[in-house]
Amino acid sequence: MMTQTDGQEYGFFTDVTLCIGCKACEVACKQWNQLPSDGYTFSGNSYDNTGSLSATTWRHVEFVEQFDRVNPAESRWVMMSDVCKHCTHAGCMEACPTGAIVRNEFGSVYVQPDVCNGCGYCVPSCPFGVVAIEQERGIAQKCTLCYDRQKGGLEPACAKACPTDSIQFGPIEELKAKAKRRTEELLAQNVPARLYGVDEAGSVGDLNAFFLITDRPEVFNLPPKPVLPSTHQPVAYLSGFLATAALAIVAMQTFRSR
Amino acid sequence: MVEQITPDAVAASLSGGESGFGRNQQSYYDHPVLQKPHWRWEVVWYFFIGGIMSGSALLAAAADTFGDEDDRALVRNGRWLALAGAVMSPVLLIKDLGRPERFLNMTRIVKLKSPMSVGVWSLLGFSAMSAIAALEELLGRGRVPWFLGGLIPRGLRNLFHALAASFVGSYTGVLIAATAIPVWNAGRRQIPAIFVCSAVSTGCAAQAALLALSGGSPKSIAKLEKIELVAALAEAALLVDYASSAGETGNALFGGEIGERLRAGTLIRGIAIPALLNLAGIFTKPGHATKRRVVKTLIAAGLTLYGGYVLRKSVIEAGKASADDPRAALRQPE
Repeated sequence: MMTQTDGQEYGFFTDVTLCIGCKACEVACKQWNQLPSDGYTFSGNSYDNTGSLSATTWRHVEFVEQFDRVNPAESRWVMMSDVCKHCTHAGCMEACPTGAIVRNEFGSVYVQPDVCNGCGYCVPSCPFGVVAIEQERGIAQKCTLCYDRQKGGLEPACAKACPTDSIQFGPIEELKAKAKRRTEELLAQNVPARLYGVDEAGSVGDLNAFFLITDRPEVFNLPPKPVLPSTHQPVAYLSGFLATAALAIVAMQTFRSR
Repeated sequence: MVEQITPDAVAASLSGGESGFGRNQQSYYDHPVLQKPHWRWEVVWYFFIGGIMSGSALLAAAADTFGDEDDRALVRNGRWLALAGAVMSPVLLIKDLGRPERFLNMTRIVKLKSPMSVGVWSLLGFSAMSAIAALEELLGRGRVPWFLGGLIPRGLRNLFHALAASFVGSYTGVLIAATAIPVWNAGRRQIPAIFVCSAVSTGCAAQAALLALSGGSPKSIAKLEKIELVAALAEAALLVDYASSAGETGNALFGGEIGERLRAGTLIRGIAIPALLNLAGIFTKPGHATKRRVVKTLIAAGLTLYGGYVLRKSVIEAGKASADDPRAALRQPE
């Protein structure tokens, strides 16, 4: 259907107003990527028994129930299919000491499974809580944006399976233009739509997998202002050096005194 | 004209509290926003042992350069402690990897952006220099083979060893401060300095204990206890500063059970009591190595080491608790 070009960045546009919560994306992802089951748990939180993204769950459909007691007619359900954001400035990629996490020719952040040694430093370095260590293989795992399918000119399994086109796949610039048109359309219809991960001013930058949401980001467990962890490094290094210098002087003076 | 419902209008209606979408929804079913590191006891012990070895190496380098004949035993012990730590550290770190057989992948690249990569390389450098310093203790002072840097002046060799040690002692603080975990990055100004202070104080404690047990010079022990006192007091001040600047985000470390343990284990037993003991030592003349003095040194050293361990354990556990707290992760950064 489409031929992917090297060097062109591809991504996801996930639109909550179109999601019907069918979880076809979760299933298609598990099936294509041969991810193991997470067991049977009953969370009691709406229809969400998946809970969160993990090393073996790369798409996660959230079910936000909003009941309004004052105006029951205004009550609504919002469903959102969460996924790795494939950040412009990726915390996991910066943290990786082995170079296992790379940006591939399609602009996606990819964990090379044969290089990762499972040090686990990418895990707390992701501001979105996406990447995790897979216990079975002992390596970090997350959405690959179906690197293998893209290599073969196919769109990722989740986007392919999505029956309402809530998940759309394509070249980033095209998707962004489409998303902005869609936002305007919705705002004209009085739907409180906003884009998350487009034209972001923060240190993480834009997201290659961005979202159209209809509430505050917190409601979807998306950090309102994600921070790239490495921005904390300069002050942290300075703190360590100042303390070392001060104590070195103390030690010097103490050993000098007879 | 129809009024547009913008996200900000929704937020405004929320603060009104009576109607509007998303009422009471501050997160998604209180699910964690972040993933927590898998780091187990091996990492706690590495942080602890890494601190002792870097502190010991720093002290040995300082004593070898600026100390007198009395401090020779201190230099020797410090260098052996540094080497022992350098031998244990990689074992602990490799054991904690998801794929231990791939530990050499750490050396594929040098990546200054990654504190983990910086740490691996500084640990390798530190190990090499600790081995050379220990070899010097075996062969005799100043008798290092030329191919191991014997031609480099002793003072410069000590300086390099001290620099590598200071990196090993402080990078672990940078490593955790530069993550997305709220309680850790809230302490980015203090954690590395706290780790350095703890490295020096536990290094002093380990060396003072070794000297006291082997009947070493009371003057050397007194010097160590003086440095330990300064480092411990600085650590306490930094912890207080951390607690007051971190605010609500700091609750993961300073509140609840973890905070209780940190206060009892590190602040009181690990810092306050040894500080009082060491302070008493400063005002009494270092005379003979009486039995009482030895016991006092051993108690102070044991408590300081215990406090250093509790600090590392609390900080790592607090990070995991903080990752599980969606309110901390969703709080707007200042």
